[in-house]
Amino acid sequence: MPPLPSGSPVADAALDAARLRSRARILRAIRRWFDDHGYLEVHTPALVPAGALEPHLEAVQVGPLQLHTSPEFAMKRVLAAGLGRIYQIGPCFREEEAGVHHSREFTMLEWYRAGAGTPELMDEVEALIGAAAKAVGRATPRFVRRSVASLLPHSLDPDEWFFRWVDAVEPTLTAPTIVFDYPDWQAALARRRGHNADRFEVYLGGVELANAFAEELSSVELRRRIQHNNATRRQAGRPPHPVDDRFLAAVDRMPRAAGIALGIDRLVMVLTGATELSQVQVR
Amino acid sequence: MAHKYDTSDFRNGLKIVIDGNPYIMTYFQFVKPGKGTAFTRTKLKNMITGSVLERTYRTGEKVEAADIEDHTMQFLYEDGEFHHFMNTETFEQVAIPSDGIKDEAAYLTESLEVDVLFFNGRPISVQLPNFIVDVIEYCEPGVRGNTATGATKPATLACGATVQVPLFVEQGETIKVDTRTNAYASRVK
Repeated sequence: MPPLPSGSPVADAALDAARLRSRARILRAIRRWFDDHGYLEVHTPALVPAGALEPHLEAVQVGPLQLHTSPEFAMKRVLAAGLGRIYQIGPCFREEEAGVHHSREFTMLEWYRAGAGTPELMDEVEALIGAAAKAVGRATPRFVRRSVASLLPHSLDPDEWFFRWVDAVEPTLTAPTIVFDYPDWQAALARRRGHNADRFEVYLGGVELANAFAEELSSVELRRRIQHNNATRRQAGRPPHPVDDRFLAAVDRMPRAAGIALGIDRLVMVLTGATELSQVQVR
Repeated sequence: MAHKYDTSDFRNGLKIVIDGNPYIMTYFQFVKPGKGTAFTRTKLKNMITGSVLERTYRTGEKVEAADIEDHTMQFLYEDGEFHHFMNTETFEQVAIPSDGIKDEAAYLTESLEVDVLFFNGRPISVQLPNFIVDVIEYCEPGVRGNTATGATKPATLACGATVQVPLFVEQGETIKVDTRTNAYASRVK
């Protein structure tokens, strides 16, 4: 399509055509990378009976259903059905999240690999980000790997831990960094190993891009965590999250696996030198 | 009881009190660690000293609003330590420590009317008009035929401020400048 004449009443000044082209190039490179590494693209519904699990995530309510905050539950059912390398790129929704690095609707890339642990996924996410960077003419980021305990003691109480993380630690993560082994009380759906949750997060350009788990494989353990989360939510005056029984049934059939979710908008933002998500999204 | 703001009121330009000093919010960012609650990260400029503070607030946390009054005054002169202003109605004169208005001082010329800000009755800072019009005292000549869009060169204004102007703008011309961003706005005939 020819570009719109400037000053045309339908021209949209908020749209950055060059960055939208970069976004498409990055997505193409990502799909090619997964194709080259034996991953299958899957699609799971955005409209689901249970869209959130963690205590501080709010799903967008649509009648009796919710829009998913991540495709995690459905993708694990696909994993349990025997597809060992799967990925999905699609919209996710989180209520009450708005800011320069947050928007209520955003694009998430999520992938799962049977038989893998967090070390394999660290290598994969580094390679994938390198491929995305190359697609827009950027140098391959060189990541450092730091344990959470080397940055902040696990022993702090949760409220203080998060405050210090945001206030003092995160601003120092300016180099490309993978942060691993979170305190066990932040396990979410990750398996625990001693006092650590076997999880990692990826920081690029000072922005949190991705979150990965070595997946917990016991539905009994997950049901207990869900009940604990919902008790916390009730105390805070929040409604409990609905429980997805099909997901919990699938967990017991899941192979050992690791999974990771990466915010596409944030990746495009950092790789195109933008400072706000709105510069790389059509809003 | 002083008025309070909470984190949902945060915006650029908000004026608050921290440890008895007035601060203006120059940046705020919603932050939410993956597994935790939301925070707001801010940058705050001390309205007296101009120094910048970074602070993180928990969602719902309250801050004290700064009681700031402003009066239109004329700039008179500066003596190296203070900038002096006069209220044109009451002829009252006030002095503001020059350290706190470094950014604004470049645009101050004799008899320019500005808003002087008072914190608890004490003059602390000035707010310039959003746009000022001034003559370019010096800049390199424009290069004929150079039509590269976005290319700029520095220009020194009669008031002393330096701004980036497009290449076609010439010495001796009068221009309009946005004092909030130090950006060239247009030529004035």
